[in-house]
Amino acid sequence: MTTTSSHAQTEAAKTEQIITEFFAKSLHIIIESRALSASSRNFSTLSSPSSTSSSSSSSVRPRDKWFNLALRECPTALENTDLWRHSNLQPIVVDVVLVHRNLSFSPKVRSFVKERNPFEEFGGGSEQNEKIVERWVIQYESKKIKDCSSSNTANTTRRSSNTFLQNLYKKSTLLLRSLYATVRLLPAFKNFLRNLVHLQMFLLLVLLIVFRLSLNHLLLNKKPKCLSLCSLLWILIPGKLCLSVMYRPCVSDVSSEPTTPLSPQVITDYVGSPLTDRLMRFPSLPVVRMPSHGSSPSSLPFSRRHSWSYENCRASPPAVNYYSPSPTHSESHTLVSNASSQGYCPPSSLPPHPSEMSLLHKKNVNFDEYYPSPNFSPSPSPSSSSPIYSLGSLASKTLLRSESAPVNIPNAEVTYSPGHTSRQNLPPSTPIRISRCTSETERSRNLMQSCTTPEKMFSIGKESQKYSGGKIAPNSSPQISFSRSSSRSYQDEFDDTDFTCPFDVDDDDTTDPGSRAESFDRGDMTQLLEAGRFFPIRKSQGAAVGALVHMLKKAAPLHQDFTTGENLSQGARAENLKSNNFQEPNQILESLTPVSTMSSGNRKTTSDALEEFHSYRGMKNLLLMPRDGSKRQI
Amino acid sequence: MNCEVCHLKELELEHFEIREILRCILHTIIFHRALGLVRPKDVDLELFDVTYVQCGEVEVENKIEEKIEQFICWVEKHPNKKSQICLSFYEVKNKQASWFSNRIERLYWEQWYINLNVAQHLKSHSSKSHHSKFVDPGDGTLEDRNARSAALEVSLREVLFQIIKFVNEKKDHVPPIPNLEGAISFPYEITIPR
Repeated sequence: MTTTSSHAQTEAAKTEQIITEFFAKSLHIIIESRALSASSRNFSTLSSPSSTSSSSSSSVRPRDKWFNLALRECPTALENTDLWRHSNLQPIVVDVVLVHRNLSFSPKVRSFVKERNPFEEFGGGSEQNEKIVERWVIQYESKKIKDCSSSNTANTTRRSSNTFLQNLYKKSTLLLRSLYATVRLLPAFKNFLRNLVHLQMFLLLVLLIVFRLSLNHLLLNKKPKCLSLCSLLWILIPGKLCLSVMYRPCVSDVSSEPTTPLSPQVITDYVGSPLTDRLMRFPSLPVVRMPSHGSSPSSLPFSRRHSWSYENCRASPPAVNYYSPSPTHSESHTLVSNASSQGYCPPSSLPPHPSEMSLLHKKNVNFDEYYPSPNFSPSPSPSSSSPIYSLGSLASKTLLRSESAPVNIPNAEVTYSPGHTSRQNLPPSTPIRISRCTSETERSRNLMQSCTTPEKMFSIGKESQKYSGGKIAPNSSPQISFSRSSSRSYQDEFDDTDFTCPFDVDDDDTTDPGSRAESFDRGDMTQLLEAGRFFPIRKSQGAAVGALVHMLKKAAPLHQDFTTGENLSQGARAENLKSNNFQEPNQILESLTPVSTMSSGNRKTTSDALEEFHSYRGMKNLLLMPRDGSKRQI
Repeated sequence: MNCEVCHLKELELEHFEIREILRCILHTIIFHRALGLVRPKDVDLELFDVTYVQCGEVEVENKIEEKIEQFICWVEKHPNKKSQICLSFYEVKNKQASWFSNRIERLYWEQWYINLNVAQHLKSHSSKSHHSKFVDPGDGTLEDRNARSAALEVSLREVLFQIIKFVNEKKDHVPPIPNLEGAISFPYEITIPR
């Protein structure tokens, strides 16, 4: 039994090997006959002894010995693909497709070509039409060999096994002979030969013979229209080795134009190929091929329009490149792709799959650089997770980047114009106008508007992150919010869910300088201004928030400035009051201006606040004091 | 072992077309039966838009050319007669000559009958036909000539497909492939009418 089983395994292995080589040889015969080059064609017609002699064993390659059929050099692309050797005996479908490609952009030429070739079986633009002229199917249906009875001797089993293998090999050899002759009797071969002969210096169109090799057994039951079953070559063994062809009887309309066939190409990322994404589409773009002369082009990144997105092209095995033919070339293209049992999707003008678009956009998002806060603005879409944007002079760049990301597209639309964004998406407040700040005073004012405690800045960043597609801020004036700083904490201000962006790079300045916090450290402002003006470009939203937090942490607290300013102003006022009680209001105001630029350092206390209050009251009395010098106590 | 016989479709041809037609048919059959190592050679017919395959053996080409010449001579001697060429494949049964016969017994396992109906013309009877490759058909308008040529091409294709079909359908009678050098695995003979 052990011997019997070992014989059976050996027989099965040899059977599989024979069938695998049969597949390979069949493919070679089919593709070679449809992708002959001028040189190889001349080789075949020459009656030189070197070409006709088959007795020279020195030139016999190992693969020529299979089925005793020495063929021409296999195209390099086909060799590299090596599909059939790993096909696991799955059916192979070879489509011979004629591709018309207009090289001239003259409208007259286009119309001329269209008149002569009105057919369009597949989707395609005005510059390229494809048409299946042949479909070859190679398949093997295995059947379990009945186990030999236990009474059979080992010799009998071995003999029968040898007989079976010899019989299989003989029949495969005969079948390949028939295939070799058949491929040359079909109309496509005549058309191909005509293409080899007619070589023109100028080309109106390029006739490309394209092969699509698919291992999709579903194609076996699909018969393209206008194709008739030509012949069915088969071998009956335990199992069935079948080779059939469906061909288009008349290819004359396709072959009427002078053409220059190109070298065979192999498409490995054919739709349905196991190496490619299932969701890929076939946009009907012309295939980009590699120029080659006399040799099959090597595999290159597949940039065929009939394939997938650029990203997937890079990921998939390289297969096909289009080639701008020259009149001197007489090669044809053979595209062979390896497809699994997936649906057949003919090339069409479908746009890239949305999933591919998202892949593209996601990739672009990774390279996009979004400006960190405070230069961020909310987007009206709460569902989107757009990161921070920057407006003003940097808006264009941001918009370009955001448009590339599907997530950011609605944000980009909203934030198209700085004015639009500032008016609709942001509160009327204009915290920072980096693009517009020309004077230091304005910058300071803007910063006063925007700056707050580091904790608040951090919360703003959080909120910005939270409300990245957030709601539009209310029409709250920052002036009001700032002027309420004493009575209303910053936390309250920014706790407002509608107010998502205290910072804005906007042209409009609706703030009142007088209402701004006056006790502001110029140095801190400078620091903040510096930080605000030259915000580093961050790649991620988290990084932007972190930078904002870092900046805010370094920023000086505003209330410190108030305390310092209060002390200084108090002293200044006392001096003013002492020196000149009859000062003009303007002079008083001028004397009070330095109050707004005080250095920080001291913290405010209640007593300080009370003193400040008294000083303000005194100022008020001075202002209201009549010119006659009478005093009024208020 | 059974002897499989295949009668090919009759072809009506002109004298000048004999060579091309016979070369095509004979080489096609032999190519299918040359199961040794072959380097196939594609040959394009000049009169017809047909490409057939030769096995690439010089001996085979010479033998076929010789037989074609003999047939042409016979056709010239027997004008307007339907002719039949037989291509047979056999096995040598006994290599040793017996006391009563020196013949080597041949066991035919396959025979191909090529039926031809050569239309002879007065001009084609000239001796120049032996040397010239093609002879002007003579009578008949150009359109008739073209129509006849087209019909012959179609018939020729049918014959070739008939050969392929026969080769494909019947394989069991073919003897095992011998381990011989050269393309020709099985001996053959071409028989012309006498």
